[in-house]
Amino acid sequence: MTRALVAAALGALWSLASPSVRPLHAQVIDSAPTHPSVVRTVALDARLASDAGLRLGDTVRISAAPNDTAAERVVISALLARRADPSEIARSEYRARLHLDQLQRLIGYGDRVDRFAIRSTGDSARGSLLRTINDAAFGFRAWPSAEIAVRTSRTFQVVRRFHRAIGVITIVASAAFLLCILLLKIDERRRDIAALRMMGISARTIVRSVVLEAGIIALLGSMSGVIFGIVMARLVNWHFQGVHRTTLAFTFVTGETVMLACGLSVVLGVVAGWVAARRLVTVPALTLLGR
Amino acid sequence: MSALVQVRDLARDYSMGSGPVHALRGVSFDVEQGEWVAIVGPSGCGKSTLLNLLGAVDSPDAGSLTIAGERVDRLDDRAATTFRLRRIGFVFQRFYLMPALTAAENIELPMAEARIVRTERRARVQELLGYVGLAGRADHRPSQLSGGEQQRVAIARALANKPALLLADEPTGELDAATGLEMIDLFRRLNRDGTTIVVVTHDAQMAAAAARRIQMRDGAIIAEAVT
Repeated sequence: MTRALVAAALGALWSLASPSVRPLHAQVIDSAPTHPSVVRTVALDARLASDAGLRLGDTVRISAAPNDTAAERVVISALLARRADPSEIARSEYRARLHLDQLQRLIGYGDRVDRFAIRSTGDSARGSLLRTINDAAFGFRAWPSAEIAVRTSRTFQVVRRFHRAIGVITIVASAAFLLCILLLKIDERRRDIAALRMMGISARTIVRSVVLEAGIIALLGSMSGVIFGIVMARLVNWHFQGVHRTTLAFTFVTGETVMLACGLSVVLGVVAGWVAARRLVTVPALTLLGR
Repeated sequence: MSALVQVRDLARDYSMGSGPVHALRGVSFDVEQGEWVAIVGPSGCGKSTLLNLLGAVDSPDAGSLTIAGERVDRLDDRAATTFRLRRIGFVFQRFYLMPALTAAENIELPMAEARIVRTERRARVQELLGYVGLAGRADHRPSQLSGGEQQRVAIARALANKPALLLADEPTGELDAATGLEMIDLFRRLNRDGTTIVVVTHDAQMAAAAARRIQMRDGAIIAEAVT
């Protein structure tokens, strides 16, 4: 059964990865499976399949230009889920994976590639293969995949540093706020502290109690903040994973973040408590009572 | 046998913008062991200043103060703090109970500071709560207690370390008339059981209940009366 035209621009991505992207055009002509010996297969981007209402086993016509008479009939044999890669989620084009000869024929690119990947079976094979390629193929440069990953993720390292800077600024600003609040809260208790001094409670005991209390409050506060952060991170991920149809985690609270937040908060709480308590216990009790 | 409290020519001046204020001008008196003394007089006559000196919270500019054989006027801050903890019980007009602590914990606080062992502290707390009529309120926080109950807890706290002298600054000042009378009864019972009390008050009934009244004006004692 013939189905509606799918006006989808396909960016070609074949199994050996081509950087040269040319639009392809697909037209659904039949949703019934066709015999594999007659019709070649194609793997389509799962997002394209979803948007175009295509299913596994559908037969489509695929060509480099709309209404091309040389369009080839192919059967959708696989749906490709996009990797959870930050460099890919913002790309809006769809991808199809074709057999190499089929792709060459379709795009008229000939017997030529710009980039290709080779899977090696071990470290020793990889090293010798890299050397062989680099020695033999002038103009080509072979890289191990790990190094390519490092090179392509530099942008994200910069972004990560920005995020870290924003996080540190936020934490420091919150800490300053916490410090002020703690100083004010402790200052509010000047009459209680005066009464304790008059009862014979030593300055050391008072300072120790205030510091302990401030430390516990700071720790509980930072833990509440961490829980709030985790909940917010999940909400953010849920939202953007839905928008971009990916499993990529856009934000998460790391152990390092938790340690930094709790550690800094406790240190500041203790310091604020100590400063405020020391200031109050060195003032005569009668002065604290306003006499 | 010498008096528990010996006050001799006690003077205290405060520096104000307009010049020195003579809050106490050479006050002398004794308080015997087991006595209940009320210090009365108009506002600003120096009675609170005298109470603060008796409680080693403030230091005199002249004169001497001896309590239980110890020269209180010569104590430095740390020694004065220890002296207050072990020898003086303070009852404040506004109670000053720690809001986060229960009644029992408030009473236990001075004993913990005095390093009394826990079992002894707990037993003493129960005894004191029973004494002030709050045996069933041990686990209540100050916010769950009435003004009279809070003042009873404050009195129990002041008695925790078995002080030689109980000082009270307007203990009925924040209470209604009926609760004030209950407080006077409690003070009467405390004194009958051997507690030496010096109370500063504007409350005529509280003053009348004391065994001796010291009338002050302009930083000096102008009259004394024994009931």
